[in-house]
Amino acid sequence: MEGLFFNVNGGFVEGIVRGYRNSLLTGQNYSNLTQCETIDDVKLQLGPAYGDFLATLPPNPSTSALAGKMTDKLVSEFRYLVAQSVGSTAKFLEYLTYGYMIDNIALLITGTLHERDTRELLERCHPLGWFETLPVLCVATNIEELYNSVLIETPLAPYFKGSLSHQDLDELNIEIVRNTLYKNYLEDFYNFVQTHPDFSGPTQEIMSEILQFEADRRAINITLNSFGTELSKQERRKLYPEFGNLYPEGSLMLSRAEDVEGVALAVSAVSDYKSFFDAVGLSQGGSGLGGMGGGPADGKSLEDLFYQKEMEMSKFVFTRQFTPAVVYAWMKLKEQEIRNVTWISECIAQNQKERIGNFISVF
Amino acid sequence: MSGAVGREPVFPTRQSLGLMKSKLKGAETGHSLLKRKSEALTKCRAEITRRIDEAKRKMGRVMQIAAFSLAEVSYAVGGDIGYQVQESAKQARFRVRAKQENVSGVFLPQFESYTQDGVNDFALTGLGKGGQQIQRCRETYARAVETLVELASLQTAFLILDEVIKVVNRRDINSELDELDREEFYRLKKVSGKKQRDTAAADAEILAARKKAEAEEAAQAASGVVAEEPKAAESEAADILGEQEDNDVIF
Repeated sequence: MEGLFFNVNGGFVEGIVRGYRNSLLTGQNYSNLTQCETIDDVKLQLGPAYGDFLATLPPNPSTSALAGKMTDKLVSEFRYLVAQSVGSTAKFLEYLTYGYMIDNIALLITGTLHERDTRELLERCHPLGWFETLPVLCVATNIEELYNSVLIETPLAPYFKGSLSHQDLDELNIEIVRNTLYKNYLEDFYNFVQTHPDFSGPTQEIMSEILQFEADRRAINITLNSFGTELSKQERRKLYPEFGNLYPEGSLMLSRAEDVEGVALAVSAVSDYKSFFDAVGLSQGGSGLGGMGGGPADGKSLEDLFYQKEMEMSKFVFTRQFTPAVVYAWMKLKEQEIRNVTWISECIAQNQKERIGNFISVF
Repeated sequence: MSGAVGREPVFPTRQSLGLMKSKLKGAETGHSLLKRKSEALTKCRAEITRRIDEAKRKMGRVMQIAAFSLAEVSYAVGGDIGYQVQESAKQARFRVRAKQENVSGVFLPQFESYTQDGVNDFALTGLGKGGQQIQRCRETYARAVETLVELASLQTAFLILDEVIKVVNRRDINSELDELDREEFYRLKKVSGKKQRDTAAADAEILAARKKAEAEEAAQAASGVVAEEPKAAESEAADILGEQEDNDVIF
């Protein structure tokens, strides 16, 4: 039944995204890219997929400029989708931008705390996290003003309210603020896809799975990255999203973990994560904290495996129909593609070809 | 060799002989000391040059690894963390201490790097993702900066040492240079003297030759060559009206 009326409002957007998906780089493209000798060659190889967007680049552009142009294409395509969508699909797409908004707001908070001219920061903001009232935040000169204008002007107000006060912005490390916001965002998003009547059906199934994975990944990463820092266990626990495959027992064990083995134990209930930890050899005491150089599994780190998993999930989203979740999947795939190309061109630019195959391609 | 030009004005007495002898001894000791110092410094410089070479090669490698680890970070984080890192850094973790080293009387500055433990301003950066890469990148760059400090220390020492060696060698050489100067001057004088003499000789020869030629002409004129002269004048006059073409006169 879910397919009966979906196409009335969401059909066009879904069709467009499926078209976009076909322009994603394939394994063949990647193997061509890895053969390149210069960035110019890379640019040439990207020609069919990126076309005009790369035309303005100077000869032998920097990798960051290249990545910037690729992101521009993603942004313009996404904006087109936003412009074409209505109703619950539009709301869904809006949710996708909140993650970037959190990053932008965190940037502005950092700037305001250090009394920098925040107007200069606007151009550093991620274009996907741009909203009309973002420049208004630059008017704030101290953190309290900023806090108030964030509450009034931004869609992120619910994420601030209740968990962060303006003193918190001043005192807490910006990373804690960012992760608190992100946690609230994920929970809200999860709640949104779970409860919205339009999304009962494929969207709810797909997005629940993906968001649960995302929540678990964040919890695991935060735990691993917090070892050896001043982040206390209570504070750490507050940053875990309160849903996901690990919640609640796994999260509790994560919050008590003191080393990598503790984390491995905490996630062992979920077979996917257990196999990741086994693959990078972290569960047996671990030679260092994984990492792209260290892990024995073909140089794959835990993060690589997570990315790999995410990409596979995103790929499978396209087997479903009548859902805006394909937009989410397409965005994730596109971002991974940009990261891949950046990695490859970085390897070429720095003449370090041994590790050039360390990207994730699922098509 | 230098003749009387550079000689010390010494009055030839026994007392001044003793004085001169002690002076000479002092000069010799000083010279050999300077020589030894210069040798020690040169050796030190050679050592430093070798180490600079090593450090530079090492720096090339380390910098490459460091730049690559930054690429890893940008891959893992998927964005720019530069601003956040810049802003959250408040205290230096990596510090440099300067001290002095004494190499045969020359004070060479030496930079020593050390890390202030416990200062880790951006430990939480990339908490959500990429934190491990960021920390590893930081360590790699700390090693790169360590190499840079080492190189800076060596190069500063090299510059100072180079200057000092020049000064030491100059002190040693100055006297020799003076000697050379005097010798050169003497040589020039000698050369110009010789040249003058040569020119004078050549002049005299030419003069003699001219005189001889004049004398011969006079002798020939006397022996009846004079008769040919009118004939020649006549043929010259006939030529003007002859069949030869004249040069065109152009107005």
